[in-house]
Amino acid sequence: MATPVPVLRLPKGPDPNSRGFDPNSPRFIALCRTSISSSAASDSDSEQLQKEQDARSVLREGFLRCLLSMTNKKVQFQMYENVKVEATFGASDIDVLNFQVSDLHTPIGVQKEALIRCQDVISFTFDV
Amino acid sequence: MAMRQTPLTCSGHTRPVVDLAFSGITPYGYFLISACKDGKPMLRQGDTGDWIGTFLGHKGAVWGATLNTDATKAATAAADFTAKVWDAVSGDEVLSLAHKHIVKTVSFTQDSNCLLTGGNDKLLRIYDLSSPEAAPQEISGHTSAIKKALWCNNDQQILSAADDKTIRLWDRSSMEEVKTLTFDTSVSSMEYVADGQILVITYGKTIAFYNALSLELIKTVEAPAPINSASLHPEKDFFVAGGDDFKLYKFDYSTKEELESYKGHFGPVHCVRFSPDGELYASGSEDGTLRLWQTAVGKTYGLWKCVLPEDLGSENPEQLYTSTPEIKA
Repeated sequence: MATPVPVLRLPKGPDPNSRGFDPNSPRFIALCRTSISSSAASDSDSEQLQKEQDARSVLREGFLRCLLSMTNKKVQFQMYENVKVEATFGASDIDVLNFQVSDLHTPIGVQKEALIRCQDVISFTFDV
Repeated sequence: MAMRQTPLTCSGHTRPVVDLAFSGITPYGYFLISACKDGKPMLRQGDTGDWIGTFLGHKGAVWGATLNTDATKAATAAADFTAKVWDAVSGDEVLSLAHKHIVKTVSFTQDSNCLLTGGNDKLLRIYDLSSPEAAPQEISGHTSAIKKALWCNNDQQILSAADDKTIRLWDRSSMEEVKTLTFDTSVSSMEYVADGQILVITYGKTIAFYNALSLELIKTVEAPAPINSASLHPEKDFFVAGGDDFKLYKFDYSTKEELESYKGHFGPVHCVRFSPDGELYASGSEDGTLRLWQTAVGKTYGLWKCVLPEDLGSENPEQLYTSTPEIKA
């Protein structure tokens, strides 16, 4: 009587809450391109490439300084589905995937501590 | 002691799985994409069947799906009259290519720069993915719906199979028909094995092997039931086939002998493909599942764990269990 080949576990099925493509997987981290790809992908105008890189640096530095100055301030987030919420900004994670906030005012109450998923945010404003 | 094949069932689809394709071997392993009538093609880790993500966007049944060699891009063909190109790492839709009818088949060139599509409008289209707004090149000739189209001979030629019972070989630069094979009955599937230039074709109960350059017949093998798809092992020692009797068959390629048959699916098998390393093959069925089968039954690979006779029944620190009998989720 042949015995069936043992297995360590069954294959993992889909996550009912997300479409997958885990941004924390090694493959994603290694391969995912930045959201705005370089214009000079094929041709090689090195001067133009340098200018573009300088502009990227300026924008990136500006963005990081913005995040720093937002700490502990009240920020209004404009999100999809016409959602506007206000919260006190705490910090961002390294890949800017989540914002840690406190006292998040939502239509169903105030959440003491929360994580806001960055891909859901359209824009945010605050007073410097 | 003889070991019995334990197929690994990958659930998640809610309707029949009609097509599947493996990528090449990448630094992150190899991957598998499945096309399903539920409109939601899925990407899975090839050696374990673990779900990675679902490509969301199609508004109709997905009839064809493929991955490029390094699994960075995916392409799908659907009943919503579009073929879509996806980033297979992030799952994002990159391109949507409008067609005039149901699209059935998609295929990347080896450098992933061009996409070949075919479908119910009877035309083969070649899209240059670096300039997607440019109109595609069109090849006409088939007199009914195209069900499968592939690049072959180093992407210099194209093979297409259609409901007009022909398989045609086209030259890519001249866009002209080079050769045609005519059959008495509709061809159910076509697979191209680049190494060795072999074309695997199925029709009725027959699995036929042709030289992909000359379209000369190498051999045919008869199966016990109508076959919907077959796949040749990378080392060309075996081939597997599945069809309307729900079973998977394994044959010796040189002797044409039927070696094994496996029950497991609850509906006709629509597609079967060997993994790029030949260690397993995947089957997609009308029952909405994909199953992974070992080529060498009992070998330790992926989720399968070889157990030596003395380990059976003894305390084993790892959690080992035999696969449960079919439990519907």
